[in-house]
Amino acid sequence: MDRHIRWLLVTPAILIVFALTIFPLGFSLWVAFVRYDFTLGPEHPWVGLDNFVENWKDPVWRASLWRTAWFSVSMVAIELVLGMLLALAMLRPFRGRRALMTLFVIPLFISPVVVGGFFDLFVRRPYGVANQLASWVWPGTVTIDFSIDSPWLYIVLIIADVWQWTPFMFIIILAGLAAIPDTLYEAAELDGAKPRQSFLFVTLPLVLPVVLIAVTFRLIDAAKLFDIIFSLTRGGPGTDTYTTSYYLYQQGFEFFHLGQGTAGAWMFMIMLTFVSYWLVRRLLKPLEEAS
Amino acid sequence: MTDGGHRSRPEAGGATRVVRGRRFRIGGIVRFVFIGIYVTFLLLPLYWMAVTSIKAQDDQLADPPVWFPTDPTMTNFADALNRFNGWKGLENSLIIALVTTMLAVALGTTAAYSMARYRTGGKHLAFWFLSQRLMPPIAVIIPVFLLYSRYSEEWLGFSLIDTRIGLILLYTVFALPFTVWMMYAYFRQMPAELEEAALVDGCSRLQALLKIAWPLAAPGIVSAAAFAFIFSWTEFLFAQVLGRDEAVTVPVALAGMITFFQGNLYGQASALTMVSLIPAVLLGILVQKHLVRGLTLGAVKG
Repeated sequence: MDRHIRWLLVTPAILIVFALTIFPLGFSLWVAFVRYDFTLGPEHPWVGLDNFVENWKDPVWRASLWRTAWFSVSMVAIELVLGMLLALAMLRPFRGRRALMTLFVIPLFISPVVVGGFFDLFVRRPYGVANQLASWVWPGTVTIDFSIDSPWLYIVLIIADVWQWTPFMFIIILAGLAAIPDTLYEAAELDGAKPRQSFLFVTLPLVLPVVLIAVTFRLIDAAKLFDIIFSLTRGGPGTDTYTTSYYLYQQGFEFFHLGQGTAGAWMFMIMLTFVSYWLVRRLLKPLEEAS
Repeated sequence: MTDGGHRSRPEAGGATRVVRGRRFRIGGIVRFVFIGIYVTFLLLPLYWMAVTSIKAQDDQLADPPVWFPTDPTMTNFADALNRFNGWKGLENSLIIALVTTMLAVALGTTAAYSMARYRTGGKHLAFWFLSQRLMPPIAVIIPVFLLYSRYSEEWLGFSLIDTRIGLILLYTVFALPFTVWMMYAYFRQMPAELEEAALVDGCSRLQALLKIAWPLAAPGIVSAAAFAFIFSWTEFLFAQVLGRDEAVTVPVALAGMITFFQGNLYGQASALTMVSLIPAVLLGILVQKHLVRGLTLGAVKG
């Protein structure tokens, strides 16, 4: 009986994922190896690896990969640290915690494309607020064009992402912290552990699995960063804020080189698979041991 | 917190409190300064959205910026809801997000339960679920579009393009990896003894799942459900391509106001964004309730 039940329980989830992804994946794999270009006519001759090579010939593609890497790592690192500190600060109840908690989840409910649009409004010159605020705290009149001046445009993009996604880390880590039974702290206390030690040897190991899940999913999503770029900088100035996803979008939907865009997407997915597989193996270890 | 101590062992209530104070937290003034700074950082853009939603057209892009509009107006709200697909978007988004959440939670928790308790599929199945999240949308969006607009008609007899069902199915697939992983981790860390006891007492596995494991996992389920809802509520790219008209969602309606040909309808966009935050408030309360519940459970055990 149990033998059947275990498969019965996972089958619906597998089926729905399989049914919806098998065709798109197969189709896109084919597109990656043919000429699929709306500007060059309706035939799709086989071109081998040309689509893959085309991407590597383009310096913008290579630059976008590096940019994506340091973007996503710095975004997720900041979000992790802020989320962790915030969760530790919010762990013990105090007056007004309830209201704050509601406030903290709000950014998650705003679509990233809208967040980008509003940060654009926020930093625009001259009627945006950012320069006005900066002029209050900084001597003189600040007139930075946040959407063009380096490094400010990168900082604005990172801040927008941090603004939106820190609550995600916060909630997951808080749930993880809240699930730790107090008995463990009492035991640590009896063994003479100082608060710092009990954080290092009780809290951290126990929240680590949840934290790793949060980091893995955030990292994957950050590596596919698109919406904020799309509505805030449109990749500009020039190609200075192209992430890989934005580059692929450009190739596919602005230039209609769909074959090249899809080939790039497959290469990008393979790179992402290596990174996440490495993370997941780390992630599964504490979960395996939990039994 | 203190009544937890009272209930478990009244004679040592004071002692438990001292012990619990030893738990590492960010304490005292530092704690509130930090929270204060973060709240300011969070509120600035939110305030700007809120105030933009009641500004008259002339004030929206004024130089210097207008912090407190002298003649607040509600026309942006009426405009956004009636003229720019606001109501339709809200209705669609709400239905799509709710159904997606129910599907993802129902399918995700059962799968995760089987994976956690029976090791079904092992590492490979877990990673297969995760890998659904790895593909950049650009690679699949055209095939999905073709599948929905052309082949679903040929193969299934009905078109999925520009329908709520189409988006619901797709979002369920996108939301499942996270739901599965979240609940997998949760079930792994939940002691199996209670379910085993129930099995010994003559419960079937399914009863053990429904009556013991699910209620115990409620905090985890609430947060997994919350993120499935959030994902469907905010997704933009696929909604834009697959659901422009009949199945227009809030993000698509909003993006139409501030990013594309219409350009600068920030007042209307802020208004609709404000309305779209109502579920956030409800969810904040729900999450709060369950996180606190998790906390007190821990305290009672202690």
